Amino acid sequence: MKTKVFLLFFIFLLALPLSCGKGRPSIYKKTKPFMDTLVTITVVAGSDEQANRTIDKAFSVIEQFGDKINFFSDKSELSAINRNAGATPVKVSPDTLGVIERALYISEKSNGAFDPTIGPEMNMWDFFKKIRPSDTAIKKKLSLINYRDIIVDHDRSTVLLRRKGMLMDLGGIAKGYAADLALANLKQNGIGAGIVAAAGDIRAFGLKPDGTLWNIGIKNPRQQSEADELIAKASLTNKAISTSGDYERYFIEDGRRYHHILDPKTGYPAGRCRSVTVISDSGIFADGFSTAVFVSGPEKGMELVREAGSDAVIIDKDGVIHTTPAVKGMVTFESGH
Amino acid sequence: MKAVIRNTTVADRLLFIFLIAASVAGIFISREAMPKGSDVIIEIGGKTAYTFALDTDRTFSVPGPLGVTIVEIKGRKVRVKEAHCHNRLCEKQGWVARGAIVCLPNRVVISVGGKADNTPKGIDAITG
Amino acid sequence: MQLQDKYRIAVLSAYALALHGIETLVPTPIPWMRLGLANIVTLVALVLYGFRTAMTVTLIRVILASLFTGTFLGPSFVLSFGGGVTSTAAMGLTFLVFRDMFGPVGLSLVGAFFHNAAQLTLAYFLFIQRIEAMFVIGPVILLIGTLTGVANGAVSGLLIKNLLKKEGAKIQNDNEDAEPAQ
Repeated sequence: MKTKVFLLFFIFLLALPLSCGKGRPSIYKKTKPFMDTLVTITVVAGSDEQANRTIDKAFSVIEQFGDKINFFSDKSELSAINRNAGATPVKVSPDTLGVIERALYISEKSNGAFDPTIGPEMNMWDFFKKIRPSDTAIKKKLSLINYRDIIVDHDRSTVLLRRKGMLMDLGGIAKGYAADLALANLKQNGIGAGIVAAAGDIRAFGLKPDGTLWNIGIKNPRQQSEADELIAKASLTNKAISTSGDYERYFIEDGRRYHHILDPKTGYPAGRCRSVTVISDSGIFADGFSTAVFVSGPEKGMELVREAGSDAVIIDKDGVIHTTPAVKGMVTFESGH
Repeated sequence: MKAVIRNTTVADRLLFIFLIAASVAGIFISREAMPKGSDVIIEIGGKTAYTFALDTDRTFSVPGPLGVTIVEIKGRKVRVKEAHCHNRLCEKQGWVARGAIVCLPNRVVISVGGKADNTPKGIDAITG
Repeated sequence: MQLQDKYRIAVLSAYALALHGIETLVPTPIPWMRLGLANIVTLVALVLYGFRTAMTVTLIRVILASLFTGTFLGPSFVLSFGGGVTSTAAMGLTFLVFRDMFGPVGLSLVGAFFHNAAQLTLAYFLFIQRIEAMFVIGPVILLIGTLTGVANGAVSGLLIKNLLKKEGAKIQNDNEDAEPAQ
């Protein structure tokens, strides 16, 4: 009898360590392809189940939004707008309206350095097949680029492109908007800390389980080797951080680099910067702005950033690094830069 | 059944209970104590052949002496989808989020562990 | 007696091999379910005929089985050999030191435990260097081994009883036969 009691107690002792281990928050990460890129969502959660559930919900929010503004899909709301250019206004859902209004805001603030009507010019380039349009073709389409020709009726929730042949491309701003949607969704579902990263457009919130800030690496625009991948490391939270660079989609021909960030005023790739990283409290000032600052160049771009009350790291065409004062407290640069 | 119990000694029964308790406890403890990994490490014949991030869904084939083993990573879990070993033990293990799956005849070991993943050490995300 | 011993060993080995062969034919629902039927023979041999006989039978069984399946000196042979020798040795030692404490079930449990422990250890050092894999499958194998150990032990016990009865009857018959007319 005594031995049986002892055995039961022994089994009980063995069972004790099982009760710990569950409920301790840790970092979970998941990656899935959306909007032509890889989206990684990181959350701090108490269990695999919670992490999977909340991340999957956020992914589906991104997927639904992505479908609405997909430039290459006939079924998207964006395609409907483009098809009806010069004809009729198209009714759109709140998210689509929101991202277009945000695009207009950035276009105005940057005096057209960012312009979502860049579609006709973008279409003529293929960075994978290394195809670029002729100078005449580029000049011809320039007249179709003008954000002021986007007519938005907020109350009726409609969007009209005034002239036939206009094409709106929201690529420069959609990922950030999607990240914001995902962020809101995660918070709604009880996640207090995490990162939503749609390619280079990142939203970080809360703190890691050990109480420290999130570490976001900034890519080196002229990376030579694996060791050289990052040029700086930013430690932050509750910020949006976004980068536009000439090394994401490009090809080199006759010693010249042709990349995907076109200057809406010329139709050619903007050449004043190599990469621009904008750090902002609000997502609205991050992604579209990084493109705008990139096109505007280091001086004008820095002004834009300061007006918006945000921070930035600008690496100009000669590799010189310009930063806002507050960057010193957030970002550490790798040796040699 | 009763006849069997009658034919056992006290020591027999104690030993039995002890072994059962120890192995059951062992199962639970090992399941909880396994390090949470973010890497899937595949070893063939004792040498690390592939490393994949646990957080990226994918399906791929691992060559082995007995044929090709198909491994699938999905929802932060990994499983052997198809194997050509004798007893299909590895397939039967199902989805594994921690620890390892072993295909002994094929000398293939799939383990979950490690902290390093696609992003460099100390970095949580990369912009650019 | 020498001849009788050799005869016994041969017969026992034959049974062990046969059981081993049959057991590979039986489909198991659960993976890793090795019934270890051949251990019944080892155990019976140990209790009735002593350690030396038991160990000899085990060695013969392991070597011949691997020769027949063409896996001699291969990895499965190494595991089989290691497991068999260790478990027989452990059972033998237990029987020697704790003769009256354990019955055939207890001995079978000891044998099963050491058989699995030896195989897991060998597998770790020779084939799978990842300790995590061991921690994951170890307890499961031990659990299944414990359960089959009980079953084998029970069967062994019955066999031993029956064989003792037969031997006893045989001895009685011998005595009867040997009793010459007064």
